Amino acid sequence: MDDSLMKVLQSFRNFLLNRHEIVREWKSRKQPVVGWTCTYTPEEVLYAVGALPVMVWGDLSGTKLADAYMPSNSCSFTRSCLNAALRGDYDYLDCFVESNSCDNRGKTYDMWVNYTKIPNIYFINTPHTNTGKAHQFFYQEVVKFKEWLEHTFNKQISDDSLKNAVGVYNENRTLLRKIYDLKTKRPPLISGVEFLEVALSGLVMPKKEHNKFMNQSLGELENRVDLPKEGVRLLVAGSVMDNTELVRLIESVGGNVVADDWCTGSRYFWNPVDLDVAPLKAIARRYLDKVPSSFMYQREQRFRHVAELAEQFDVDGVIMFVIKYCDTQMFDAPLLRDELKAMGLPVLCLEWEHSMSGFAGLKTRIEGFIEMVGGVQE
Amino acid sequence: MSGIDRRLKVTSGFHKKYVKKFYEDAHRVKAENRPIAWVTSTFPIETLQAMDIVAVWPENYASVCAARQVSVELCELAEQEGFSRDLCSYSRCVLGSMFGYGKELPEGGLPKPDFLVTTSCACDTHLKWFQVASRLYKAPLFLLDVPYNIGGGDSTHLDKTHIEFYMSQLEELFPFLEKQTDMKLDIDRLRETLSISNWTSQLWMDIQDLRRTIPSPMDARDAFSAVFFMLCMPGSHLAVDFYTQLRDELREKARDGIGVVEDERFRLVWDNLPLWFNLRIFEYLNGLGAVVVAEVFSHTWSGSLDPSKPLESLARKYLPNMANSSIKRRIDIISSLVKDFHANGVILPTNRGCRMMSIGETIVRDAVYKQLGVPSLIIDVDSSDWRVAGEAQVKERFSTFIETLRMKP
Repeated sequence: MDDSLMKVLQSFRNFLLNRHEIVREWKSRKQPVVGWTCTYTPEEVLYAVGALPVMVWGDLSGTKLADAYMPSNSCSFTRSCLNAALRGDYDYLDCFVESNSCDNRGKTYDMWVNYTKIPNIYFINTPHTNTGKAHQFFYQEVVKFKEWLEHTFNKQISDDSLKNAVGVYNENRTLLRKIYDLKTKRPPLISGVEFLEVALSGLVMPKKEHNKFMNQSLGELENRVDLPKEGVRLLVAGSVMDNTELVRLIESVGGNVVADDWCTGSRYFWNPVDLDVAPLKAIARRYLDKVPSSFMYQREQRFRHVAELAEQFDVDGVIMFVIKYCDTQMFDAPLLRDELKAMGLPVLCLEWEHSMSGFAGLKTRIEGFIEMVGGVQE
Repeated sequence: MSGIDRRLKVTSGFHKKYVKKFYEDAHRVKAENRPIAWVTSTFPIETLQAMDIVAVWPENYASVCAARQVSVELCELAEQEGFSRDLCSYSRCVLGSMFGYGKELPEGGLPKPDFLVTTSCACDTHLKWFQVASRLYKAPLFLLDVPYNIGGGDSTHLDKTHIEFYMSQLEELFPFLEKQTDMKLDIDRLRETLSISNWTSQLWMDIQDLRRTIPSPMDARDAFSAVFFMLCMPGSHLAVDFYTQLRDELREKARDGIGVVEDERFRLVWDNLPLWFNLRIFEYLNGLGAVVVAEVFSHTWSGSLDPSKPLESLARKYLPNMANSSIKRRIDIISSLVKDFHANGVILPTNRGCRMMSIGETIVRDAVYKQLGVPSLIIDVDSSDWRVAGEAQVKERFSTFIETLRMKP
């Protein structure tokens, strides 16, 4: 691989690996850090107040600390995030933003308040529809959020700083999309793991810097010589993905993850903020109208997104990875499966703990699926 | 004293007299080609009643299937169609009943909906489950999108923007209902329905108050049957008549000092749902000298409505539902029940497929103990899927808990 390409791809990986240290260093310059965990959080407003917004994740090491408080039937991703906070991973946060975007998240708000040491926990009410009334309501929520941030960080947020934030975030979305589109090629110009490292790092590092690194890598990726190994082209659908292990597993047994339906993947950058109205209005509108998560009423819009990705990225099959115990995904899964099958696509439905415990079983099922899909191809 | 009949007369044969009849009526309406709606709990059902819309309540139907011991078979049918076993058992049971059960369904099954109405007030499950049903039956679905009551306040302490958003959607609900039914909303009729609903609520709360008596004259088993009217038809004269009779009977029992058990030693508050397939479990508690004197479920559905402000008062009644509120609300409700009903223990059953009620139980347990010194039992069960926990296991947990209460100074 080209040295400079390798270096820039490596830097995304490093951001991920050392994210807590990088954030602490930012913090040492007396700049606030705000954690968020639902992609309906209007990050631009956080950027505009001068905070570093970082997405709060869990990890694959189990949820022993959180299990003392969270029942075993609760979302394993949410539990894992809380576990990381209880362990002290997020002690640097000045604030954590929670939402009722799904039941698990909404109810876990009380856990963050009661059991973690984070000084400010803010709650944004996220509607489950995008009607005119819902837009009106959500806009009020975003205004309240802005005012709360101004008060908390003792800094006014001007329209200009919001516009500036929109500029940075839209550029981020455009760059992510450009890199994502390199996966339409055969073989893809960037592997699923490499792309996920690019995308995830952007959720925990300063956006401007992320843009700079993406700009540097784009041209080199386009002219890449040392290509990822060609495999069975797959789309992975699910709710959230905060680590690269699943994609690594899929790509280690002959798959290419060329498309995804994750809130931390395609759904994160698919829709820009359109600045044809006042910036705060434009920001609020973007979040309710974007490709929806499964808790939203507009299920058909999400299904359409998946179907379009499947076509556009010319996938051979779909893996639906439902993180236990995500109600909204579990209800959608049989319907989405049937729609994809009707398109002639083979589908593997998996319901798994976020921690990917039972890894061997997971590997066997994915291997079997890829063999089957690959066999059909030949 | 063994000759005393401690059982209530008014609630005896409840299912046959009221629930069965409810479903028979609904099937008749369907046969007459009149519209049938499906509705979920926490939806302002008074709006439907005011327009004479016959609405069935799939959650209640699931509890009927559980009581008839067929819920697990139906759940399995839904699981075969790809619906996860980890989903709410109510929804699995009802979905199962839609997927061609080979045998005769309890009460002839649910009549097919002409339209569905639900709300995000209680849970994501309501929305997602009804989306599946709406798609299967090609029937339109109205979602009342309810903001989360993050402040945890009661009906008098709600956020203005939340109330406005709620009311603005009720204004969209009526045209939807009118379109589906070819009927017009009569605002006076709505006010009248709210008055009756208030009356029902008041009677139901009088009934609950009588249970404060020591010994308590009514147990959870009766309450979980009788609450049916509060949920399915609070704005009806049938509800008023039934609750009047029940209140009168309880008054007599309270006056005569006739309790559920002869020697009442432990008074319990029960959170969440019962094990619908095994309501006899309450009798097991009775055998240990324990009586459930208050269910959170029985106290959640009341609320006073102001007929002069119909939309606002509906918002105020339903928005602060415990499921839609931060934990403060749940702690407030449970603590006040413990105090008002002189309870010495709280049972916090999880409901396997219900995140809303399962998450937060440790906070409730700790807060109630800290405030009042009253212990709670968190127990993993499910309302309709008995595969989650066996009867022997549940009994064992109960008897151990009662034993700890016994040893408490």
